[in-house]
Amino acid sequence: MALFPLQANFRGDFVVLVVPVDDGDDMNVVAEKVAHHAVGLRVAPRDAVKRVYYNGKEVPSETTIANSGIQPMDWIEVGYVE
Amino acid sequence: MPKLQRRDYYDTARDMNWAFSYVSEDEVFPEELSKSFGIKGEEWWGWDEPYKLTFREYVHNQAGKDAGIYSIRSTIARSNLYDNLDVGWKSAIKAHYGAIPVPEYFASIGEARMARFGRAAAWRNMATFGTLDECRHGQAQIYFPYCLLDKDPQFDWAHKAMHTNEWGVIAARSLFDDMFTANDAVSTAIQLTFTFETGFTNLQFLGMASDALHVGDIEFGALISSIQTDEARHSQQGEPTLKIMIKNGKKAEAQKMVDQMFWRSWKIFALLTGISMDYYTPLESRTMSFKEFMQDWICRQFMDQFKDLGMDLPWYWEEHFLPELDSIHHAYHLGVWFWRPTVWWNPDAGVSAGEREWLEQKYPGWNKQFGRHWDVISDNVRAGRIEKTYPETLPMVCNCCHIPVCTPSIGKAPRITSHKGRKLTFCSEVCEWVWKSQPERYDTQLSIVDRFLAGQILPPDLNGALQYMGITPDVAGNDAEGYVWDKMLRRLAAE
Repeated sequence: MALFPLQANFRGDFVVLVVPVDDGDDMNVVAEKVAHHAVGLRVAPRDAVKRVYYNGKEVPSETTIANSGIQPMDWIEVGYVE
Repeated sequence: MPKLQRRDYYDTARDMNWAFSYVSEDEVFPEELSKSFGIKGEEWWGWDEPYKLTFREYVHNQAGKDAGIYSIRSTIARSNLYDNLDVGWKSAIKAHYGAIPVPEYFASIGEARMARFGRAAAWRNMATFGTLDECRHGQAQIYFPYCLLDKDPQFDWAHKAMHTNEWGVIAARSLFDDMFTANDAVSTAIQLTFTFETGFTNLQFLGMASDALHVGDIEFGALISSIQTDEARHSQQGEPTLKIMIKNGKKAEAQKMVDQMFWRSWKIFALLTGISMDYYTPLESRTMSFKEFMQDWICRQFMDQFKDLGMDLPWYWEEHFLPELDSIHHAYHLGVWFWRPTVWWNPDAGVSAGEREWLEQKYPGWNKQFGRHWDVISDNVRAGRIEKTYPETLPMVCNCCHIPVCTPSIGKAPRITSHKGRKLTFCSEVCEWVWKSQPERYDTQLSIVDRFLAGQILPPDLNGALQYMGITPDVAGNDAEGYVWDKMLRRLAAE
């Protein structure tokens, strides 16, 4: 378990953030950690599932950071599933 | 003793060049300080400035200008003029005072370098005046806010800002170091005087002086007008330098320098001037939007200059620069407001009902693109959830312009790349191009996020960041109007 900084933005937000996650976090946790800094602050909350996207592709929810191929300070997006 | 007529001595005084016999040209003009671009010594001797002045005339003029502005200051000091100014306008001048006066001193270093290492005597003569100009601008723009310290401690940052690692200061200092504090004489003439002063600040100061008079800030208006008269003169060092480069087949080199510095200047200009014009200047005093100002003044001026001199528009003009006029400063404003404790002024949200209407009219689509963020913020303010209007983490910062990466607001992803194993993030294709055009120049500079990740900011949280940036509780920015803009929205909603 180690601190793992990422560049992240919640879809619909205006800025890229530095978001610290843990390498043991799965994508559900990562999505919530990113949303914490945007949803309800600058992005209107919605009753929908959140997903993580890396290199334009959705990362399965059960995948952890450690086995996702995501590197420190890589850029991810989090967004509501349409 | 009879005085000589001006015409009898002027050219001898201003333009006495000679061939060196005891030393080599390279010893007199070392490349790292002067940079010839391969143009031989005597080719520079035709350098001819359009605005000619003797030292005696210079001293006479400047003494008169100083007498004018300092007498206005002492008269206004006895009035309550400052107290009655709009709070947003106060924020605009605080932002200006923190970002500009000390860099004016830095500019005197650049001017002094041209006064010694400029490659023609007439140029060195002009740059000597420029050196003195920039000292004057630094002194006056520190003295004036210093006189307002008893009214507001944020004015302390007129002197303090550039001695800190505040994020906006890192961005501004990076630009100014690149442009003149650490630049050779020829590049300084092209990048500072031709690109930045002729293109941006000379016109900006005219606009700011006009806005100041509209809002009733006679003191700031007089100060800025006085400075502008110096800028108009010493900025003219760029054009003759550029003409010599073009005449000697160095148009591509000159074009590249202009393209690099126009973009870097634009980013800081959008941050400082864009926000001030479209959000901090009171609605009733706005004469034009920032976009209109850019289009009518800056873009036209540059396009005319480029056409006159046979230069091309920067390669990114249509695809990258013009589209940013619609949006990027709105994103910067949102970020500055949300991260308001990290700046030395009180950001004015500028989103009352009337202001939002004006923004939508000037920037069709503003409500959809940016108003929706302010809707969420307004809901939180209205519900008393002020903690939700503050950040808990840092924004990512561009490794070139050092401004937060706001390009998701225009639907673009950050550009992540690497150089010699170092991971770099750029907000845009053009920032990436600028950085990669001279990696040896930029590679040692760490962004504030790089510093955070390297463990230089402790504790590693927002409080640690504020401490690292030198922000103290008495100057940390807060909403300029105490959220009154939202109360107005609330009243309208209730009605």
